[in-house]
Amino acid sequence: MKFKLQNIAMVAGIALAAMSAPALAGSIKIGFNVPLTGFAAADGNSALVGAQLAVEQVNAAGGINGDMLELVVYDDQASPKESAPLAVKLITRDEVVAGISGSYSGATRAAATIYQEEATPYIAAYAVHPDITRAGDYVFRTSFMGEVQGRAGAKLIGAMMGLKRVVMITLNNDFGKSLAAGFKARAASFGIEIVAEYEYSIKDREFGPIVSKVRADAPEAIYASGYFFTAGPLVRQLRAAGIEAPVIGQEGYDTQKFIEIAGPAAEGVIITTSLDRDSSDPVTQAFIAGFEAKAGYPADMVGASAHTAVLVMAEALRAAGGGGKAALRDAIAATSLDASTGHISFNGLGEVRKDVQVQIVKDGNWRHYAVISDAALLAPPEE
Amino acid sequence: MLFLDLTVQGLVQGAIYALIALGLTLVYGLLRILHVAHAALFTLGAYLGVIVTNQTGSFALALAVAMVVVGVIGVGVYRFAYKPLLDQPPLVALIASIGLFIASEEIFRLVFGPYGLSFTDPPLQTQVEILPGIFLSHARLMVVGIAVVFLGLLGWLSASTRTGIAWRATVADPDMARSFGIDVERVRYLNFFIGSALAAAAGVMVALLNNLVEPTMGAVPAYKALAIIVLGGLGSVRGTLVASLALGVIEAFGTIYIGHLLDRDAIAFAFLIIVLMVRPQGILARG
Repeated sequence: MKFKLQNIAMVAGIALAAMSAPALAGSIKIGFNVPLTGFAAADGNSALVGAQLAVEQVNAAGGINGDMLELVVYDDQASPKESAPLAVKLITRDEVVAGISGSYSGATRAAATIYQEEATPYIAAYAVHPDITRAGDYVFRTSFMGEVQGRAGAKLIGAMMGLKRVVMITLNNDFGKSLAAGFKARAASFGIEIVAEYEYSIKDREFGPIVSKVRADAPEAIYASGYFFTAGPLVRQLRAAGIEAPVIGQEGYDTQKFIEIAGPAAEGVIITTSLDRDSSDPVTQAFIAGFEAKAGYPADMVGASAHTAVLVMAEALRAAGGGGKAALRDAIAATSLDASTGHISFNGLGEVRKDVQVQIVKDGNWRHYAVISDAALLAPPEE
Repeated sequence: MLFLDLTVQGLVQGAIYALIALGLTLVYGLLRILHVAHAALFTLGAYLGVIVTNQTGSFALALAVAMVVVGVIGVGVYRFAYKPLLDQPPLVALIASIGLFIASEEIFRLVFGPYGLSFTDPPLQTQVEILPGIFLSHARLMVVGIAVVFLGLLGWLSASTRTGIAWRATVADPDMARSFGIDVERVRYLNFFIGSALAAAAGVMVALLNNLVEPTMGAVPAYKALAIIVLGGLGSVRGTLVASLALGVIEAFGTIYIGHLLDRDAIAFAFLIIVLMVRPQGILARG
């Protein structure tokens, strides 16, 4: 119930944003496509709050060389059918200087192609599909590719936790499959034996059969990919069946809602992600406090990723200083910035280079567990 | 052992399918309408179950409230959505039903928020060893219990009471039933009330098993229940029960042994296609 007023306010806000087509003098417009309705609306809301927070922080600190940053927001329903025309609209009608995706892979891929064709810089905040940055040199990503995070998961389980017999439970979409590919590619080098792998679909919430089989497999650790709405029920059902092996997840788990769904079963679950709740970095701290105040619930990975993407864009706008879209692209490519998800820089493909944060659930909250900063292991592909 | 365990898991899932699909098959049997919006009532039942439990602390009360309220709303759906369309081709009612279902997902999202709701203190989570080495939570046992009790009650109602006889007569031939003095409208209201209440019970139980209620949780039941009633032979109550349990078990084994090729829903529809190739009239229906 508590989201009701917020939602109405949000819809009203979007309507107002859409109506304010003629730009205010001294404002710089950035397009933002984000799912505000449909199945991904929960993540969409976090992404929007994170992005708005970043815009407020930038403007409060004097904006971009004196000009105010303005976010032009459209609901893409996490669908390529929506995001592609929206990208055209943002670039041609709203005349944004650049775009940011607060959306999932399908929608982001479709929009990325159009941004590239129009030679307008575009940053994907948390979409994982490898082809997004392959759209061209105007497209960047501030979050980990699935493969990179999967490799980090293998190091975490095999080397840092010293567990060797692993069962994989894989979500059968681009997110889960790319994580699994990265994990399998490096598992052997960390001494991991993959006992079995089970797949499930994003619609599944009932894991009875998989749980029964995993109990029979008796693994030392479970590497399970998924989002909070699949992982919450999964972890709950694993623990309810008396399976005590550690569960290792990824950034899809990374919200307070996961802990709420899984309840006491969430305790001890470890994930690889982008946001460190116990970070002493002032930018991260300001984000965590600001997000909770604005959203009414604790900070999550999606919010942090959208926040980071906006900060990267703002910094590049400052550096490019009104020199046009090509200069802006070069400025993004040259980014070296401490943002809410750590130190950000990009490789030649536009993929982010940053450390992997490892978080654990302790007393009903996400807490610091470790950091993986193995540059060779985490190197994203160059082409 | 694993074989037995998977069978039990499949039967529990099948019991949930049965509770959902039964209302659908009853509506189809009576009115020849594919009641897609039935799944919206399932979702509403789940929301009511969680909200009432969290407010009052009583799960039993929540289950009762969800069943009664959703039952009444189900009657409302018939009265205000389907009844005015009864003299139109069935396709018109189907389209109305789909529209109602899509609208309901967004209404749930606006009213209850996009993140879904969970029990603050989920009841019935303790494990019981029902057979050596096979553990089920009280929640899962209750799913089976509720399915057996309500479906048993329904069987008794339709076989041994005047209301049940009127019901079956109306299904067989509404005009003839009317000419024998049966209040056909009353039968239809009762039908929607019972079917919707069962869907609400299924929703509450799914909420309990997953500890998560989402605006879109009706999407899978919406089409899987259609597959089940087709499998069972449209309108056949017994066929629906058999199809539900069979599908639950097949999905359980399929998830483990062919899950890397086909996901759960694909397995369900592959099963549907195979059955229809062999028995186009459904599992139990007479040719």
